[in-house]
Parts: sequence; structure tokens; C-alpha cells
Amino acid sequence: MTTRRALIAYLPAMTFAGGLAARSKPAFAADKTVTVGIDVPLTGADAEGAILIKNGAMMAVDEANAQGGVAGYKIKVIVLDDGTTSAGQYDPAQSATNARKLVADSSVVANVGPEMSGSGKAMAAILSQGDLATITPSSTNPDITDPKFASQFVPKGRPIYFRTVTTDAYQGPNMANYFAHTLNVKKVYILDDSGAYGVGMANAFEAQAKKNGMTVLGHDELDPKEADYATILTKIKGLNPDALYYGGVSLAGVKLAKQSYNILPNIIKGGGDGVYGAPMLKGSGFPAMEGWYATIAAPYIADNPDVQPWIKRYTEKYNQGPGAYSFTAYDAMLVILDAIKRVAESGKPVTRSAVRDAIQTSNLKTLQGVISFDKYGDINSRIVSVFRAHYNSQYPVEDSLHQYKYLGVAPQTS
Amino acid sequence: MTIQAKLTGPWPEVASWLRARTTLRTQHASMACLLLVALLFPPLINNDGDVDAAANALSFAALALGLNIVVGFAGLLDLGYAAFFAIGAYAYGALASWQLHPAWSSFWVPFQWLDLVSEVDGAVHFQVSFWLMLPISAAIAAFFGILFGAPTLRLKGDYLAIVTLGFGEIVPIVARNSPTLTNGAQGLNGVLPPVLFGYQFGVDATPYYYVGLALVVFLMFTSQRLKMSRIGRAWMAIREDEIGAAAMGVDRVRYKLMAFAIGAAFAGATGTLYVAKLQTATPEMFMFPVSVMLLVMIVFGGMGNVWGVVVGALILQILQSWLLQDLSGWLQALGELINVEWLQHVDLSQSIELIFGIILVLMMLYRRQGLIPASRRVAGLSLDEQAAQVSRGGFDALAGLGSIEERRTGPLLEIEGLTVRFGGLVALRSVSLSVPAHGIVAVIGPNGSGKSTLFNAVTGLLRADSGSVRFAGQQIAGMPAHRILKLGIARTFQNLRLFPNLTVLENVLVGMHSRLRTGLVGAVVRPPGTNREEHDAQERALEILSVFGNRLVPRINHVVSSLSYANRRRAEIARAIATRPKLLLLDEPTAGMNPAETLELADQIKSLNRLGLTIVLIEHKLDVVVNLADNVVVLDHGEVIASGPPDVVRRDEEVIRAYLGRSANVA
Amino acid sequence: MSDTTIIVQQVINGLSLGAMYALLAIGFTLVYGIMELINFAHFNVFMIGSFLGMWALESLGLSGQSQMLTGFALYGTLAFAFVVAMLGSGLLGVAIERIALRPLRGVAGTTGMITTIGVSYILFNVVLLVAGADAKNYPNPMPVVQWKVGGATFDLRQLLIWVVSLVLMIALQLFVSHSRLGKAMRATAQDSEAARMMGVDVDRVIATAFFLGSALAGASALIFGLYYNYTSFLIGYSAGLRAFTAAVLGGIGSVTGAVVGGILVGLIETLGGQFIAVRWTDVIIFSILVFVLVFAPSGLLGRARPTKS
Repeated sequence: MTTRRALIAYLPAMTFAGGLAARSKPAFAADKTVTVGIDVPLTGADAEGAILIKNGAMMAVDEANAQGGVAGYKIKVIVLDDGTTSAGQYDPAQSATNARKLVADSSVVANVGPEMSGSGKAMAAILSQGDLATITPSSTNPDITDPKFASQFVPKGRPIYFRTVTTDAYQGPNMANYFAHTLNVKKVYILDDSGAYGVGMANAFEAQAKKNGMTVLGHDELDPKEADYATILTKIKGLNPDALYYGGVSLAGVKLAKQSYNILPNIIKGGGDGVYGAPMLKGSGFPAMEGWYATIAAPYIADNPDVQPWIKRYTEKYNQGPGAYSFTAYDAMLVILDAIKRVAESGKPVTRSAVRDAIQTSNLKTLQGVISFDKYGDINSRIVSVFRAHYNSQYPVEDSLHQYKYLGVAPQTS
Repeated sequence: MTIQAKLTGPWPEVASWLRARTTLRTQHASMACLLLVALLFPPLINNDGDVDAAANALSFAALALGLNIVVGFAGLLDLGYAAFFAIGAYAYGALASWQLHPAWSSFWVPFQWLDLVSEVDGAVHFQVSFWLMLPISAAIAAFFGILFGAPTLRLKGDYLAIVTLGFGEIVPIVARNSPTLTNGAQGLNGVLPPVLFGYQFGVDATPYYYVGLALVVFLMFTSQRLKMSRIGRAWMAIREDEIGAAAMGVDRVRYKLMAFAIGAAFAGATGTLYVAKLQTATPEMFMFPVSVMLLVMIVFGGMGNVWGVVVGALILQILQSWLLQDLSGWLQALGELINVEWLQHVDLSQSIELIFGIILVLMMLYRRQGLIPASRRVAGLSLDEQAAQVSRGGFDALAGLGSIEERRTGPLLEIEGLTVRFGGLVALRSVSLSVPAHGIVAVIGPNGSGKSTLFNAVTGLLRADSGSVRFAGQQIAGMPAHRILKLGIARTFQNLRLFPNLTVLENVLVGMHSRLRTGLVGAVVRPPGTNREEHDAQERALEILSVFGNRLVPRINHVVSSLSYANRRRAEIARAIATRPKLLLLDEPTAGMNPAETLELADQIKSLNRLGLTIVLIEHKLDVVVNLADNVVVLDHGEVIASGPPDVVRRDEEVIRAYLGRSANVA
Repeated sequence: MSDTTIIVQQVINGLSLGAMYALLAIGFTLVYGIMELINFAHFNVFMIGSFLGMWALESLGLSGQSQMLTGFALYGTLAFAFVVAMLGSGLLGVAIERIALRPLRGVAGTTGMITTIGVSYILFNVVLLVAGADAKNYPNPMPVVQWKVGGATFDLRQLLIWVVSLVLMIALQLFVSHSRLGKAMRATAQDSEAARMMGVDVDRVIATAFFLGSALAGASALIFGLYYNYTSFLIGYSAGLRAFTAAVLGGIGSVTGAVVGGILVGLIETLGGQFIAVRWTDVIIFSILVFVLVFAPSGLLGRARPTKS
């Protein structure tokens, strides 16, 4: 389904938009525009995450435009909704329609989205045909950028599906290493939220956990629309595990945290970036979240002074704290704006093909660190940072920066 | 003499009905125009996104057409229809992708020759052709349609809805929990796009649009032809009144399952197209909201109307994928233009569901029949027609009806020891009676004496607990209603069981159901034989209706719910005659008629009898009984208390005490 | 924990779940019993009930971060929240009936049911727009009190569920069997035409059924919020569908049946999850639903006949 990836990192790039403005000439900013798409499921059950993504991406654009645009271009955004009433949530068919709309609109030079891997699978080939780059802030299914499936997802050969998150292939296994080597977990039970993201993460964790010699007591799926998880938690309790690993997002995660606090108070509980972030903190609260391990697929730079002001700006702008999605979406948009800037400054026309090439060669400091992509479009940084939730009553409960304690980097699988 | 020749003049309605056949040509012309517009749409609009949205909308139109067969025609409310969509989608998805890859062995070689599989890296790669899979998926879905339909046959509307809802929930969960077949929540990878004569469909939306258009046109054609056939009439009869349909010879089990199967087949084929176009599928694409949305589409467009459901699906689908998003953009632009702050931030896309909900409720409250209603109201009769002298048709026309004038001797119907119990209550206690061929027997008795129960037991609508019923020497007790009808027993009902939203003509045609042979293929293809059969059936229906003269003939295209009570009785009798019975059971045929009308009908019944028809009637009006019946059977508390010629029975002490005694001076 | 303890614990969990389903199922069964209408709006009346209860608690200054209350403050707070959730939901139910369903009285077929689907869409999306899509941390003023039953635990919130459900169900039974309006309800359920001829104000009876059913859904929703410490605009569908299954299983139209059905569905859910896997829970529940309808169509205690004569 999705990934949320948390903010992190240093933010010298924070001032990216401002820096741009200083160098560009606002005088002719209004003369030229380029359009960037945002494609997320605003209708139906996935609306929550979609809004966080949209807001994060819009913030980058608004900041750039407020400074006069990017290298003389005003940035226009078209927001496309790939959720439908017919599906009641994200709808891959609508994602495909939107991809074609984006391709058909010649002013569009790049896109942020989709939120869901299911959408990504329906969009990739179309975008490839149109040579239009998209950067997903949240879809983590490895198949889309897997060279094995290249003939299907990128028939034209040039990568167009970039990510500001790592795929499931790293977070789950690295956390399995952390569980085995650092936390000395012997017996683990695995749950996922039956979404593509959660299942992928949990399966990857399971495979690595078995390699590490852990006993996997079971692996079951939660229905994210269902409220009662006491049944499965009671069952898990009867199996006496050392730890519970959860692959999934906050929709089911919030309920899992609350109910496991009552039923399994004393075992190690952890998850991926789905359990890192404001929605999880705000929805579960403390003490339910206390002690949960979470990972993010990015390096953590301790005591980063730049992220706080960003969160403050975001919160003021939208009256709501950012989610993990918001950071990656903001970063994705920064990468696109930077690509547009580099194309424009090189004197070439700002075409989608040129922008795609520029995205491919990105090397940009963003909220989560330096972003660059490998030859398939995946983010190069594969560091998985581990956190543990610990209540700090001096800060608001949804303040991710202060309610999670950074523990270190999860061991890579060699 | 043809019916045209006979009927021109006095009944203008018939003439106009016949004229309607020629206006079909103008209809065809306008349809051709529409099709031309649809064909030119992609090059004209020249936007792949919009073409794609249109292709999706066409897929939903195809689904709506399938659901319309089940819900609109047969009246079986299906809330889990998306399950068949899923089955069709995964059938193609699994057989034309990298999902299944068993190890290669010589077993696969013949399939390789047929180009269904190929060997890739020592594993099997399924690559069954899209065009081959369209009918196969339809067949697989039809199979599941029968499988899911079978247990629901006995259930009432809303219970049926629940069971189908249950299946609709189960199928995507099974898909999600069977990752080997479906790749579960991760979604299928590498579903092959279709290839047509070497042309790769690829990712361009336009070829899919044309396939979708062809599919919709084909399904509309199929739906329309089915609707106007013996099969469609049987479905609609079930929808309107299940018991009435059974009594008119419709095999309910068979036709309900047929509706489920065909509806599912539509969805199966559409699922294949949909997944080929998307080249992926996730279980979330087939959940409850899809089924509900399809229901909304056909309700919105006009349930039962083929054009209506297509228009409903296209409008709602295009509204959400297309118009509302653009509309938000226009409103925002307008906001910027006139500098209105809130307009600049309007985002309608988040309110689509809300808007749909409001549309749905408003439609239900103010326009339930949908945008394009299924049954068009026919304009009322002119004053002249209303004031026309009552006329009666001749009965000569019926002389050709076949078996009824075949003379036989001895009893046609023999009932012995027939007992029916409802729980503890004995409705019929060891009833025995015999109806001589070509005679008229009247069954009388106070209310609740078991008269209608007797009819129900004879016609198979009720199962007798014991006893025998022999018709023309054959044991019929325990046979299903439609088979008994086919042997030659037809009936009318005390409370009328016409099909209220069908026209008079259609009602009579349903009566002919068991005498016609048109099957599924014939109904769609319409070979000359079927056309002739249909034409003959319509002519015969007119002949039968003309028995009642200008009572019914000017109203043949009126829905029966708009008829007067007496005319409905006549229509029901006409429908029963249309089944070509040897024995006609009339349950209070003159109820609700004034004395003149009663006399007229009694006369007509007599004429039918003279043609050779054996008649049993339940009647309260004793003058009618005395006038018509050769024999009278008196029931009281489920027992035969007297029988014999009318004047004998009238003098029977027990009858007077049990029945006549209650109103001393009857007759 | 031993296997038996786990099973005892699952039974306790199942009974708690079942009590909530039962309260919600009564709403389906009351309306169906009288109008033969499957009311899909009931799903989201339940959902709105949980929000009403939450807003009531928040209006007293409580938030998701636990603030335990005891004694009179606790009782008073809970009583207030119950009144708001039940009254608000009840009135919402009446309003839905009045605005969207009464004009359709006498219209045959599935029109009414389809209308309730539309109403359900509206309620769902209004809450989404007003309250947002995020999961809500439901205020929980109740102290953590646990009892040991064997090795299994039983806590205050579960006790609350049982007590409230029991009290409400008994009250409903008394109302239906003893009050004038209750008798009118039963009469209407038997034969609405006859009841009308005997002078029963059928409109009023139907409005009462909607009020009672929706109010019980409101109570169920508040209990739900307190028990899980959670609500969201999404909760209606899953809980509603199970409650509906419960109503059918018990025999739709029968209040006792709804209660028995609710508890059975609760137990099936927990024991099925224990012995099979939670990923198959829905398949198990819906298979039972299909099975019951096909082989015992009037449910366990129903008198309604879901098959045609």
C-alpha cells in the first residue's frame, strides 16, 4: 500500500526554495509556467494519507512560488484524484486514467505520486510511454522498479518511477536483523494490515527473521477496516512470543497499538515507518505507544535544528501536523523543482524528457538527507534508522521528533 | 386471414402498434448516428486521459448491463455482483501473466503448440490470448454465477441481496488470501496486453476504448434481444410475480439460474477487458463499493431499460473521473478571476461520494423509475375509444388453437383422497372429485372452505400431503407447476396474478411460454425459425385478445396495472387461454364485475367450453353457477359435502345448512 | 498461558464483542420486523453515534490522553455521554426515516433499501468532511480495573459493555411487551395492514422503531469508542455488516434473536480467529450467513419467512 517515511535529517536544504528565489528574477516569473501533477486518492478510505501527501507537495510549490518561482518559471499544480466512489478508495483504473491525462497535457513536466503501489503498477507503463517522470513519496512495492519486470512497467527503458522512499526490500529485513542481533528476539509473531505495503514489509521481515534463526510463531493479516484485534492478540499471547512485528500503516496500527498495550503489555513490539509519525502518535496516544520500535528508511541526523521550523510552518499552514508522507512528498517536490531549475539554468527548454533526465541525476539535500537515485529509479540511500517511542510530556503528543528516541542504524544484510 | 387484415379499422391502437415496427427504421438510423459519434470520439477528443476515462466508463456500462439482467430483468437483487467481475479479471490475470510459473515439463508441450504457454527459463509462462479468454472468462464467471445463484433460489428479494452480499465479500478476501494465484494485495504483475493480428495494444487507451465500445454494443444488443424474447418475458414475469410466472409455465429455477449465469458472464468478460487494460489487479478493486456503485448506476439510469443503464453508468462514471475534477479547476480559476477567496480552494473531488449520495436519495424520492424508465406509459384512450360500443370478438379465431377440440371421453381430471395440511390445520381432507372432459364443473363453498387450496394443489403451487391427482390418465400430484401447465392445465387467480408492469400483450405472450421453444441462442441470434415463431405467437395473442373484442385489443400495449379491474380479469383469462390448456381453472372469474359484465363473461366462458375446453370454476355468484355448470361440487371445511347437477345440489339439506343457510335467499 | 485460559479469554472477548453487535443488530431487526426494510443507513448512524459520544466527552474537557475519573464524576460523565450519543443517534434515525423513507411508504421492492444506501453515503461523507479522515483517540475516563477469571482477565470496560447491553435489552423487552406503543409495534410487525385498521398509527410506530434502534446503535457506538479507545469515519461498515449478520443469524425480526445472533457472531469471530486465522474471519462469518439463510432461512429464533411461499 504505502509507506510513510519519516522526516529526518538535516535541513540545510530547507532553505532551498528561498535560495532559489534569490537567484531567480521575480520580474519575469509570471511570464512562464510549467505544470507539475500531484496524483493521490483523495476520495474514499485512503483520503487521510492522500491529504498529507498533497499538503507536503503543495507546500514546496507554494514556497517556491512565493519566492518568485523556479528559475523564472511559475509552478502550476494540477491535483488529480485517483480514488473513486466506485472503488471506495484508491482505484488503479482511475490512476491509469490520470496517468494518461498527465501524459496528454503537454505542460506537465513531472508528477508527485501515486500513494499506492497498486496505482503505481497501473501507471508506470503509461508514464514510460510518455517519458513523464513521477516521484512516489509512499509506494514501496519493489516490483515496479525491479529490472525483472522492466518490460512491463518501463517498456521504453528509461526509468520514470522514482521514489523518495526505499522499497520493502530493506526496511523489513534490516529490522529483522535488529530484532535478532540487538534485541535478542528468539520467537516473533508477525502481523500485517493486508495492504500491499504492509504485506510486502512483513513478508520481507519474515524471510530475514527465519534466516536469522528466529522462530516465526505465525503470520496473520489484520483487516484495517475492522476495529477489534483482541482476538488475534489474545491468540498471540497464548503463544508466548518475545516480540511482535507489524508491517502496515497507521490505519490498523493505531488500533493494534492500543489493544496490544492491554493484552501484550510486556513484549517487544515494532514496525516499519508505518508506525512512525504523527497519525500513529495522535491516534494511539501514550501509554499505548510507549516502547514501540519503529524504523524509517533514511538516515537520522541527531538534533537537526532545521526540521522543527519546517514542521512549525507546515502546522501553521494546514492547521494539522505533518505525517510521514508529508516529508517524503515535500522532498519529492523539491527534487522536481530542483530538476526544473537545473534544466532551465542549463538553457535547455523545460521539457518532461529533460526534467526526467535531471531527476535521474539529482543530488539534492532535502528534509530526509541527500537524495539521489540508482539506475532503476530507487533512492540510493538505504540506511534504515531505528527509533523507540517514549513519551516526553513537554512536547505535544503528535510531535514525532520528540516522542521517538533515535536508537541507531539497523544492521544491513550483507 | 391475417390479423392485419382483420384488425385494421376499428382498433387504431393495433394499427399504431403495427406502424411502430416500421418506425424501427428511424430508430436504427439514430442508433447508427450515436455509434458514429462513439467511434469518432477518440480522434475528436484527442486526449488519451479522456479516452481512458471513457474506456473505464464503458467497462462500467458493460457491468451495469450484466447487473441489469439479474436485477432489472429477473428482479433478483444482487449486492455482490463485483465478485463476478473479480473472477473474470483474475481468470485472465492468472492465465496471461507471470503470476503462475510451474516448472516446465513435457505436459505443457501440447499447450505450447496451441500458443497458450511458452517456456521461459525452465518455467511455464501462461500467455493465453485475450480474445480466447473473453469467452472463457465469461464461461467461468457464468459457472460461478450458477454456483452462487443456486442456494439463493428460494429466497425473497432482500434475503437474496444479503446472500449475494456475502459472496461479494468472500471472493475478494479469498483473492487476497491466495497470493499464489493472485499475488494478493501486492497486485498482479505483467498481465499481457491483447494482440490483434499482430497489433500490440500496449498502453495507449484508444484500442481498449474500441474493444470496450464493441463489448458494450454487443451486450446491449444481446440484452435488448433477450428482453424482447421468450426468455426476457420469462425473467420479467418472475420479477413481477414469481407464483404467477410458475403458474404460467415458467421454470423458475432454470430461468433464475440463467439470469445469474448470463449476468455473471457479462461481468466475467468485462473483468478480462478491465485487467488487460490495467495490466494489474488488486483485490481492493472488487469490493462492496463497486457492487453498490453498479446498483446506483442502474437505478439512476432506469432499472430494466437497456439504454437507461448504459446512460446511467456512463454519466456517473464520467462525472467522477472527469467532470468533477475539471469542474473544481474551473471553479478555482473563476475564483482567481473574480478574486473570491473560497472559490479558489474549492475541491469538489473530495465530495463526490457526498454528491452521489444526495443524487441517489433525490432520485429515489422524486424519480424512482430512473432517467430512462423501462416501461413507457401509453397515452390513454381517446374519448371515442372509451365511449365505443362494447363489442365482442368471435370465437372462431380460437378454433385453431390445437388440442382443445380434440374430443375425448371419460373424466379429464380425477382427484382422489387429496389432503393438504397447513401445520395443524387441515385445508383439504380427502377430497375426491372427477371432472368429465369438455364439461364445466363449479366448485362452491363458504370462504375458507378450501376452494383455492384445491386449485393450488392441482396446479402444483402447493404440495399435497396425500392423495392422487390424475390428469388425462397421468399422475400429476407432486409435479412442479410449470410441468403441469405444459400438460394442459391453466388457471386464473382469485386475487389476480398478472404481471403488473408488463403490457397486456406481453402478459399473454408469457402465457405462451411453454408452447414456444426459443432458447438462449435463438433469442439472441434470431434465426428465421425464431422470428416466425415470435411472429406467430404475437398473432395468436391478438387472436386470443380479440375474443374480448374492444375491451382489450385497443389496450394491448398498456401495462396491465393501468387496466380496470374487469379488464384485468379478462386479461388473466386471455393469458390462461394462451397456454393452450385442455383444462381451465377459473378462480372467481366474475369477482368485481357488474351484472352486465358478469353476463358477458359467463357467455364467453360458455363459448370456450363449446370449443372443447374443460372448465372448473370457483364462483360465488350462484346464478352464474346455475347458468354454466353441468356439475357442482360443494366444499365445506375442506371436505366435499355434496356434488351433482346444480338444481340437485341446491336442494341438498346439508348444503343449505352449511352454506346457503347463512344467507337464506341466495339464488 | 495455557490453552484453556486462552479459550476462556477468547470467550470473554467474544461475549463483549457480541454484546456490541447485539445492540447494533437490534436496530436492524426492529426496522426489518416492521417495515421489511434492510436499513443500510444504520451502519453510519452507529458511526455518527460514536462521534457524538466523543464530542460529548470532549465537551467535558476529556481528551484521548487518559484522564481517569472515579466515583460520581465518572458516573455523571458516562451518563451524559450516553444520553448525548443515544438521543443524538435516535433523533438522527428519526430524521432519516422522516426525510428519506416516509415519502416512500407503500413503494414496493428494494427502493427503500437503495435509498438507505444513499443516506449511508451522505452520513459517511459528511463526517469525513467535518471530522477528517484520521483515526480519533477516543477519550477514556475509566480507570483500569481488571479481574482474573482463571488465568484470563476481565476488565471494567468489558463489564460496562455487559451491564449496559443487558440493561438496555431488558428495557427494550419491557417496552415492547408492556407499553402501549410497544404493543402497537408488535402488532404492526405481525400485520401492518391489520394494525392500521385497528387504529394503530403506523407512522408513529415506525418512527419509534427507528428511534429505538438508532438510540441503541448510539449506545453501542459509545461503548465501542470507550472499549477500543478509538473511532473513525470508517467504523460503520465492518461492525454494521457483522451486526447485520447477527440479526439474520438470530432470525431477523426477532429482538431476542438479534441478541443471540450478536453473541454468536462475537464468539464465532474470536474462536474462529483463534483456531483458524483472522485473515479468514470474514469468510467464516459470511459463509455461516449464507449457510443459515439457505438451510435455516428464518434464523435461529425468527418467525419471518425469508422464502417465498
